[in-house]
Amino acid sequence: MRSSFFRILILALIIISLGVLSIYSSTYQKEGVWQDIHKRQILWAVIGLGCFIVISQLNYRKLWDANYLIYGVALFFLFLVFVLGIIRLGAQRWLRFAWFNFQPSEFAKLAVIIFLARYFSRKSVDDISLLSGKFGIFRGIILPFIFVAVPMFLIIEQPDLGSGLMLLLVFVSLLYLTNVRLKYIFTLICVLILPLPFFWHFLRDYQKQRLLVFLNPNIDPLGAGYTVIQSRIAIGSGGLFGRGWLSGTQSQLYFLPESHTDFIFATFSEQWGFLGSCLLLSMYYLIIRQGFIIAQRTQDSFGRLLAYGISLLLALQVFINIAMNMGLAPVVGLPLPLMSYGGSSILVTFIALGILVNIDRTRSVF
Amino acid sequence: MERKNILKILIVLMFVCLFIGLANLDLLQGAKFRGLSDSNCIRLISQSGARGNILDRNGEVIVDSKISYDVMILPQEMDQLDRVLAGISRILGVEVKSLKVVFRRNYFSSSLPVTVASNIDLKKAIQLGEYKLEEPSIIVQPNPLRHYPYGTLAAHVIGYLNEIDRWRLTKLEDYGYKTKDIVGFGGVEERYDYYLRQEEGGLSVEVNHRGKFMRVLGFESPQNGKDIQLTLDLKIQKIAEENLSGRKGSIVVMDPQSGEVLAMANYPNFNPAVFVNKRTRLIAGLFNNPESPLINRAISSSYPPASVFKIVVAAAALELKKINLSTNFLCRGSTMVGARKFSCWDVHGLQDIVAALAHSCDIFFYKTGLLLGAQNIHDYALKLGLGRSIGFELPYETSGFIPSPLWRKINKFQNWFDGDTANLSIGQGDCLVTPLQAANLVSVFANGGYLTTPYIVKSVGGLELSARKKKMSRLPFKKSTFEIIRRGLREVVSDSKGTGNALSGVDVAVAGKTGTAQVSRGATHAWFVGFFPYDKPKYAICVFLEHGGPGHSASVVAKQVIEAMIKQGLVEVQK
Repeated sequence: MRSSFFRILILALIIISLGVLSIYSSTYQKEGVWQDIHKRQILWAVIGLGCFIVISQLNYRKLWDANYLIYGVALFFLFLVFVLGIIRLGAQRWLRFAWFNFQPSEFAKLAVIIFLARYFSRKSVDDISLLSGKFGIFRGIILPFIFVAVPMFLIIEQPDLGSGLMLLLVFVSLLYLTNVRLKYIFTLICVLILPLPFFWHFLRDYQKQRLLVFLNPNIDPLGAGYTVIQSRIAIGSGGLFGRGWLSGTQSQLYFLPESHTDFIFATFSEQWGFLGSCLLLSMYYLIIRQGFIIAQRTQDSFGRLLAYGISLLLALQVFINIAMNMGLAPVVGLPLPLMSYGGSSILVTFIALGILVNIDRTRSVF
Repeated sequence: MERKNILKILIVLMFVCLFIGLANLDLLQGAKFRGLSDSNCIRLISQSGARGNILDRNGEVIVDSKISYDVMILPQEMDQLDRVLAGISRILGVEVKSLKVVFRRNYFSSSLPVTVASNIDLKKAIQLGEYKLEEPSIIVQPNPLRHYPYGTLAAHVIGYLNEIDRWRLTKLEDYGYKTKDIVGFGGVEERYDYYLRQEEGGLSVEVNHRGKFMRVLGFESPQNGKDIQLTLDLKIQKIAEENLSGRKGSIVVMDPQSGEVLAMANYPNFNPAVFVNKRTRLIAGLFNNPESPLINRAISSSYPPASVFKIVVAAAALELKKINLSTNFLCRGSTMVGARKFSCWDVHGLQDIVAALAHSCDIFFYKTGLLLGAQNIHDYALKLGLGRSIGFELPYETSGFIPSPLWRKINKFQNWFDGDTANLSIGQGDCLVTPLQAANLVSVFANGGYLTTPYIVKSVGGLELSARKKKMSRLPFKKSTFEIIRRGLREVVSDSKGTGNALSGVDVAVAGKTGTAQVSRGATHAWFVGFFPYDKPKYAICVFLEHGGPGHSASVVAKQVIEAMIKQGLVEVQK
């Protein structure tokens, strides 16, 4: 189906252009390397677009065969981060390549989705029904959880709580989508939630603070609560029509930290207001809806699960990031797909969208 | 329901949730956040204009404003602050440490500029202005301060400046006054504060998250207050104050033809500059001083007029035909009114109206007063401008008081006796007059029968007020009444036994009347009211000395004032 290719391409292009505009507006007054940051984002967008087109031509069934390799490479990179990763903003999340920094956790999200889609779409030999419906608790929950938990643990230890929890959320929702019994899923959730008070002690100080600040940003307005307060001010000051492009004082005068990465939604919303933000939200919704439509009309269970997984990953990231911008979710380091500055995120999102388009295309070939 | 549909609904719910959150922030709380955003990055730096000057009738400055410079900086991060303060200390020659102490003391909030040094001179201000090119967060703020080149001169007419008090604020809030505003207290500064006061202007600047100056958003230039020109003549005012010095009392000189007040001197006085410099101890001293130096005695206190009041009694008696030029009363030193003995201060023998005025014979006026009756005296006093406020421009004017039988009955539940009438006839008893009223009274006889309304403000912001002020009313008295009393007033000075004979040696013909007011405690008050030159009066004068002894001493002061005025060429020499 060519139409889904173009629909997703156009939506992605609009979103990433808005992202470049926002990045430019939040950095054009700053000095030094900041000046060129929007150009780098354009470069990443172009590379991402290339990946999108190439991946959309390659048959996604190849991922079925390569899934252990992909999973292994993702784990390898995550280990590498521990050894060689560069430390930025107090976290060890990046690998230095020739001229850019690579964030393996972004890649790991996609790898885990591919792995889980493959795992849950195995068929029994005698009939062609899915195995997952007959899974017991070990094969249905514990085994796949171990496969998720290893990269999740590595990511949380970086520390990157947001991406780690993202994996968990995608895992739980994929479990729900496959026919694994509900009582197993509830057991898993209970097992995960009950020891939470115990895990509190394992959280880093800044993570504890962020959670406390989420409950009440005003307990530390100049420290941990600062970002949320400033981000809420930025979004709220936009009003109905926004302050206009390049007129956002919050983002341009440094009041809003991370205004071009995690808090780019606040930057955007300050300048384009309620109407602009609604437009952006509806773009995201359309892309995600497109993903769900593709998933629904795919007969191949691997392709269907993969499409669901990718759509869910997008939806959850968009939701958590924007909710965090508005102070409705605790501050965790999650980028807004296609908007936030960052090569890894852009690249991985485009690859994921490419896979999505390819699933649709391959379906029509069958 | 299928699991995938539930999941789809969940996704839709997530977006609805975001939409509601967005609507809440943008639409419901948008205005609040817009304000917060502005206060994040916009700083207002106010600049005040200069208060209007106060000038004398010839345009000479009595009070103006001198510009002093304050150094302010925008609050910012510590390391930057150190650098800026180091630069300032290099230019001012003050230690960084002490600048920091001042900074910390004056720091109020991160959104307000902080004063680190005040009252620096022009040269250093220019140097700092140049340094500002490197460090735009420095603000050199011109700060006009009230400047009193003559110190205490005309202090009561001008008034002083101070921070607005609660009472005034509640009254003036609607006119744009704010807490901590500097407003006038007393005198022209208070009454014309609305015209004199400057309008604040200022800069609005944008700063970044570190308080670093980014750019100027807007500028509104401050407006200076309007100048006020008084009718005071600086030369006469100086003469009056010099001759009063050291003696408690008041001198008023006015133009009897128009009612312009040319001089209004009071003692004890005060230096308004102490309020500008915030010399707390001196200010407290002024308020606690039992001599009340802040009171404008010429209009705010009233005293028994004593023999000055005889002018009123004479005018009333002549008008009502109770006496005429040929009426004579014999003064034997005392007379009986009812069962009480009323005495004169001397034995004058046979007196007619002119002689009685000249010698200030009490017996003559007791008898005239008894012929008139208290009510008539009261009515004529009011016609001549006593016992009611003049409507003078300066605040806190008192109306004085003229008693009447009816008032006595209503307020004191007592009857009026002939003795009271006799007392009133020589201006004693409950009768009270301000020095300005006394000067206004004598002006009527100087200008031939016009009751003027004294005024002291000539123009406000270049707009003449005298035209709309002139409310001179011709008193419906007979011409002969004025002539007879004028003659009597001249005799006071020219007669060798006249009470104002001290003034006869002056090179100009003076007419006037002395007064010696008995007070319950302490020495008598001394009065002299008069006008000169006699033929064509240009000046009316009232000298009042609180506990200054007999009327003679007031006439001596008047003589010194007139002689000094002659010396300065203000009065034409006739002889």
